[in-house]
Amino acid sequence: MSDNIEHKDPAAGMRQGHVLDLKLPIGWLLGFYGVLLTVYGLVTKPEMYAISLGINLNLVWGILMIAIGSAFLLTAYVKRNRKKA
Amino acid sequence: MAPVITLNFVDYAIIGGYILVMVLVGYALKKYMKTGEDFFLSGRSLPGWITGLAFLSANLGALEVIGMVANSAKYGIATVHFYWVGAIPAMVFLGIFMMPFYYGSRVRTVPEYLKLRYNEATRGLNAISFAIMTVLMSGISLYAMALLFKIMLGWPLTQSILFAAIVVLLYVFWGGLSSSIYNEVIQFFLIWLGLLPIVFLGLKEVGGFAGFAARLQETLLHSIKYLGTSNNPLGVDWFGVVMGLGFVLSFGYWTTDFLVVQRALASKNINAARMTPIIASFPKMLVPIIVVIPGLVALLVLPEFAPAALPTADYNSALILLMKHYLPNGILGLAITALLASFMSGMAGNVTAFNTIWTYDIYGTYIRKGRPDAHYLKVGKYTTVIGVAISIGTAYIVQSFPNLMDYMQLIFSFFNAPLFATFLLGMFWKGATGWGGFWGLLVGILTAAGHYILYKTGAVTYHSDMAANFYQAIWAWVADFVVTIGVSLFTAKRDPKELVGLVFGLTPKPKAEARWYARPAVWGTLAIIVAVVLNVIFW
Repeated sequence: MSDNIEHKDPAAGMRQGHVLDLKLPIGWLLGFYGVLLTVYGLVTKPEMYAISLGINLNLVWGILMIAIGSAFLLTAYVKRNRKKA
Repeated sequence: MAPVITLNFVDYAIIGGYILVMVLVGYALKKYMKTGEDFFLSGRSLPGWITGLAFLSANLGALEVIGMVANSAKYGIATVHFYWVGAIPAMVFLGIFMMPFYYGSRVRTVPEYLKLRYNEATRGLNAISFAIMTVLMSGISLYAMALLFKIMLGWPLTQSILFAAIVVLLYVFWGGLSSSIYNEVIQFFLIWLGLLPIVFLGLKEVGGFAGFAARLQETLLHSIKYLGTSNNPLGVDWFGVVMGLGFVLSFGYWTTDFLVVQRALASKNINAARMTPIIASFPKMLVPIIVVIPGLVALLVLPEFAPAALPTADYNSALILLMKHYLPNGILGLAITALLASFMSGMAGNVTAFNTIWTYDIYGTYIRKGRPDAHYLKVGKYTTVIGVAISIGTAYIVQSFPNLMDYMQLIFSFFNAPLFATFLLGMFWKGATGWGGFWGLLVGILTAAGHYILYKTGAVTYHSDMAANFYQAIWAWVADFVVTIGVSLFTAKRDPKELVGLVFGLTPKPKAEARWYARPAVWGTLAIIVAVVLNVIFW
């Protein structure tokens, strides 16, 4: 699914209304969570992770969320630059 | 009573980050809300993936998630029927067959379609009942949220209610349906990211599906095998599941409930509108991963759900106890945020549906007709304030009379069950008349209420409450269907010219504009095939 605003549409002028690209807030929020959890995972002691079966869940999940967040931000910026060009 | 879970500063930073982003998104949308359509229908401008994820999330409320984990602990793998039988076919049907009439006729609400297709009385019946139910529902979920956070985290009731209500009010007041939809999309990602750790750790601890197979009762491990009679954990036979859940309840909800249909109407074009429920159907098929697996894990790892404790177990606490069992601080905040997000987006969804129906179908029809668009935009914004205020009031009333919650949900079920018959006949039989539609709907609602009284007085009996619920829906649907046809045969027919664009057979087929890989029929067929395969695997 493409998420460009339809410029062919005669009502496009009216519809510019929703140019806010949702990928940006999702990317920033998940990225922020990722950094926060990764740092927290690095500074916490292993004993805390006894309940998560010995896995440092904050570190693992934090890195995953950094990856997902950056993927959202990257697609949003690539699209924005392409539009400008 | 001490709270179940203790949060630390990292957890609170995660919760705070979510609230901040939601309010900022609402504020950023504020300057775009220039017309009524901007506010109520996002200017019909959103791409399919956004409306699709919102369509799914609008239904994936926190109560739904907690309830489905509870169902999975109670009924086992049979819970997948609520997804693979009770949702996918209806969502695909909506996208392929019904959306051309909803979106193509440019109606702004579901009741508005009923007005064009049937008559004013049918619209009034549906609009007024829907508006009342929606705003009360929003109050119920507000109370349920505050209660959960009180038990789980020790947050005081009043502060939770007011805080959540003000955040929702702010972003809906500024951004209308767009705020609501954007929140739902963010919630979609949070729910998966917040609950998947429980799934992984749970599977690791019990030894995967082999662990389930070795240690759980055989009846909990199959979806279809034991449906031949009512002697299964659900207490419902295959006919009740297929017709009651899969046909009447599921189609009634997914294809006529304005809360979900509104998301598709916000799409930027008809192809995106038709793709909305079909895109939603794929992640919907996967939701059992985050509800059924935790439910089964709870039975094996939580002492509260050990065989000896089961008769008195509070199934609704399963998910919360699993969070406590597996998640360290940090990730725990993420899971709590996911629940908070689905509560708030559920409330925002109810409030936006309420202000749209109120403004277009009640205020703009019966109170002040034919005012300029700017007037209705203003009314919509202030209706948001009133809707939130009524929700807060309802939350307080429910707090004093907890039984009201069950009664309200019961009354809602009377209104929802027959509606799909009205739409099916309206969209696919041009002979259905205005009064046929009205009397069919009314008799359907009364049939549901009557059946409930018979069941409660013991005049009719079923294996379980769930079976009673499914069969009640079937009877209501049949009554609506028969009465609509019966009355239509004796009342004045509508001029076929007025029904162009509203009824199948009188509407020119849309030209296939999209390439084959973007067509709703292709993806819809694929969704059905995948759902069938999943049913076979887990039969």
